Amino acid sequence: MKVIIFAVAGLLALCAPAFGTQCHVNPVNIPKEWITMRRPCRDSMRRQIQMEVAASLQYLAMGAHFSKDSINRPGFAKLFFESGSEERQHAMKLIEYLLMRGELTSDVTSLIQIRPPERKTWGDAVEALEHALKMESDVTKSIRTVIAACEDDNEFNDYHLVDYLTGEFLDEQYKGQRDLAGKASTLKKMLDRHASLGEFIYDKKLLGIDI
Amino acid sequence: MKAIIYSLFGLLAVSAAFAADACYQDVSLDCGQASNALSLPRCNAIYGEYGRHGNVATEMQAYANLHLERSYEYLLSAAYFNNYQTNRAGFSKLFKKLSDDAWEKSIDLIKHVTMRGDEMNFSQRSTQKPVERKNYTVELHELESLAKALDSQKELAERAFYIHREATRNSQHLHDSEIAQYLEEEFIENQSKKIRELAGHTTDLKTFITANNGQDLSLALYLFDEYLQKTA
Repeated sequence: MKVIIFAVAGLLALCAPAFGTQCHVNPVNIPKEWITMRRPCRDSMRRQIQMEVAASLQYLAMGAHFSKDSINRPGFAKLFFESGSEERQHAMKLIEYLLMRGELTSDVTSLIQIRPPERKTWGDAVEALEHALKMESDVTKSIRTVIAACEDDNEFNDYHLVDYLTGEFLDEQYKGQRDLAGKASTLKKMLDRHASLGEFIYDKKLLGIDI
Repeated sequence: MKAIIYSLFGLLAVSAAFAADACYQDVSLDCGQASNALSLPRCNAIYGEYGRHGNVATEMQAYANLHLERSYEYLLSAAYFNNYQTNRAGFSKLFKKLSDDAWEKSIDLIKHVTMRGDEMNFSQRSTQKPVERKNYTVELHELESLAKALDSQKELAERAFYIHREATRNSQHLHDSEIAQYLEEEFIENQSKKIRELAGHTTDLKTFITANNGQDLSLALYLFDEYLQKTA
């Protein structure tokens, strides 16, 4: 008897999607001519979102590295953890934009994949700053390819998205890169003769401690 | 003779258990001879045999990774409920908040892993059986998505129970009250509230759906979403 009940329950569970309609309102049809993003542009935006997510995880790995007792650079750890959260914010902003343009009604689940970050150790803080700078340059380059894909479409030049990416995203990228490059330079100058003290002092500066 | 051997063993056992003087001994030894590098292998943050016995250390890493995964899944659910067809800003807000919380917690867990002298391994998975993820989708209707949220929050809470048990079970090698305290304060307390809240939402929706022969459904979902916009 039990076996039969379980079998029936299992069968019901399998068919659940077919019976599940009493719990939701059926989708309605709305005119779609306002949805104007083209496929190459949309696909490159999706790739960009995944790239920002991957960068966020790589930054967390940097934060983890500089948090270790054997490394002990809480200032750099703080910088990189914050950068990781910023990359996540970028992904969220791009998602918001797609939603505003009528996208992401389907294929939402495949938008983001979580993969462990590729690198997990850095020789010193300069190496990590230079790696971060390289990562940001890659993101900038990739945003430029999204811009190209969205304005080169013969049938629809996506002025608004291009303006958004150029104004908001590239602006932030260039400022962020300048900041990282400046930090790397300052630190590298000190490292030439005062490697361990220089890194220690600069780490405390990043924490906001004057010593 | 035997007595001397026993007392020697006893001395060794005591030094192993309490790691007394280990860092100091390293310093005395390494500073006593001229060299251009001090290794001091025992001058580290590890105490209480963290990472040496049982699986607490690896489970903590896996717990951080679980939060990371959930954080981005919740983010996608938030996105789905904010498209023009679903258009449920309240449900979106609820998932956005779950995502933000999970993200904050993963960073906090990573910091905690390193605080205890361990390294973070982003590939580490739990030995606990994961909740079935095959054909996972965020494209669910309102009640389904709440059900998934409730299940996944319970998974997080029960995983915290599991690590807590591993950290405190009665063993001569293992009683890590620091981990227990951390889990209780930063996870377990809030998790119970979150689970109760989500369960309460499913109770409300359940009654709305069947009430009035199902005629209230569309209005109920609309109103409930408005309610979530104000309270989530």
